[in-house]
Amino acid sequence: MLFLVDQNKSYTYNNLLDDVNKETFYYPYFRTYNIYSFFKNFIIALTRNLPIVLIDEDIKSSQLSIDETLINQTKEISSASFESIYSLIDNVFNSNSDIIIYTSGTTGQPKKVVHKLSSLARSVRNGDRYNNQVWGFAYNPTHMAGTQVFLQAFRNKNTLINIFKLSRKDIYDAIKNYQITHISATSTYYRLLLPFENKFPSITRVTFGGEKSDVKLHQTIASIFPNAKINNIYASTEAGTIFASKGEYFYIPNNIKEKVKIKDDEILLHKSLLGKTDNIKVDEDFYHTGDLIEWLDEEKYLFKFNGRKNELINVGGYKVNPSEVEDALSTIPQIKQSVVYGKSNSVLGTILCADIVLINPIPENEIRMELNKMLQNYKIPRRFKFVEKLELTRTGKAKRL
Amino acid sequence: MEEKVLEIVNQIRKNNNLDGLSNLNKTDNLRDDLGFTSFDLAELTVKIEDVYNIDIFEDGLVNTVGEIFQKLS
Repeated sequence: MLFLVDQNKSYTYNNLLDDVNKETFYYPYFRTYNIYSFFKNFIIALTRNLPIVLIDEDIKSSQLSIDETLINQTKEISSASFESIYSLIDNVFNSNSDIIIYTSGTTGQPKKVVHKLSSLARSVRNGDRYNNQVWGFAYNPTHMAGTQVFLQAFRNKNTLINIFKLSRKDIYDAIKNYQITHISATSTYYRLLLPFENKFPSITRVTFGGEKSDVKLHQTIASIFPNAKINNIYASTEAGTIFASKGEYFYIPNNIKEKVKIKDDEILLHKSLLGKTDNIKVDEDFYHTGDLIEWLDEEKYLFKFNGRKNELINVGGYKVNPSEVEDALSTIPQIKQSVVYGKSNSVLGTILCADIVLINPIPENEIRMELNKMLQNYKIPRRFKFVEKLELTRTGKAKRL
Repeated sequence: MEEKVLEIVNQIRKNNNLDGLSNLNKTDNLRDDLGFTSFDLAELTVKIEDVYNIDIFEDGLVNTVGEIFQKLS
């Protein structure tokens, strides 16, 4: 049975079993572009109950306050002797490892959340009906959504086909060649598949996550994948997967009803649903998510999302805190002042823009190069406007448009 | 108009440390031939909209340079 296909390289579950058994070291802080190595290392850590830190392949250690020398440093472990892939899978799902995931940086600096497998696997389903699924893997494996898809597929010995960062043509080729049945991705990812040209009947499930999705996009995706049921997932780095939708509306599942409160239209989650972190503020045991909802039927716990309370900007499924970008801009000596904001965009949903007041001239591409040293790519504004002065609000704060 | 689009494409390529192109072919695929990611495509729409006031991706994505020329003509 195939475990993973990545860039025309195939890895079977037996390959994985052998590699996990024989390995005598692992990387607690692993930064790699190779997705098989990434998953292998993740599984090795889980089977040995050792901590693992999930690090983006393009992030700098300073952004995470991690000592650079720790990155890709090996640690000796003993080999293992799992007899079958099933005993390996069971072992992974009983792991007691600390799994450290970073948020995209709501407080200027990405914050660290420590999860256990039990919270990450909260929404993972298994059983006969989940056999033989083929997953198009369309997320960054280090992010919450990516770990959710990985665990769902791995639990049921499904095949993963890496289609993250592929071109439109290659995505469609992969769906056809590998008869992919399930895709979970952001709206931005699905938008890349437009317009409708051909039907792909192998897909039976399409999941949208990470962004408020739009009806028109849903309709087109439904015509490209005529056999697919479509749903939405609400997940966060702090809490993992919490809600799924039926159609446009989400519902609060029975088993967590006591742990979810809605206050002033904002979703509050009980602290027992969260991973461990020092930086999340909890108010009477409840965490304010900043996500706003509108009830459809309060008695049936049906609602839809209505945007966010705080100022995070959702750029193609990645959340960007404008203050973090402004702080980075302010370190460039030629820049006097800046304001970073989102502008609605047909490709990404929202595109990141910056208005800048200069002290001395500096070309746009040099600003970008400077930002590139400090920020991940998705946090770099794609539209710069050089202005004489910023519009200020009455409180003297720069106004986001 | 074709020169202006070339200039915009090259600005985006330069920001990604890619070499500038001397000309565009109508059959060039934006992702495969020009090497654009979805973030680059978003930037392209904004830059073109700033000049021509047309959102080239309004009705779904366009794939080739020729399709952009068509939208702008």
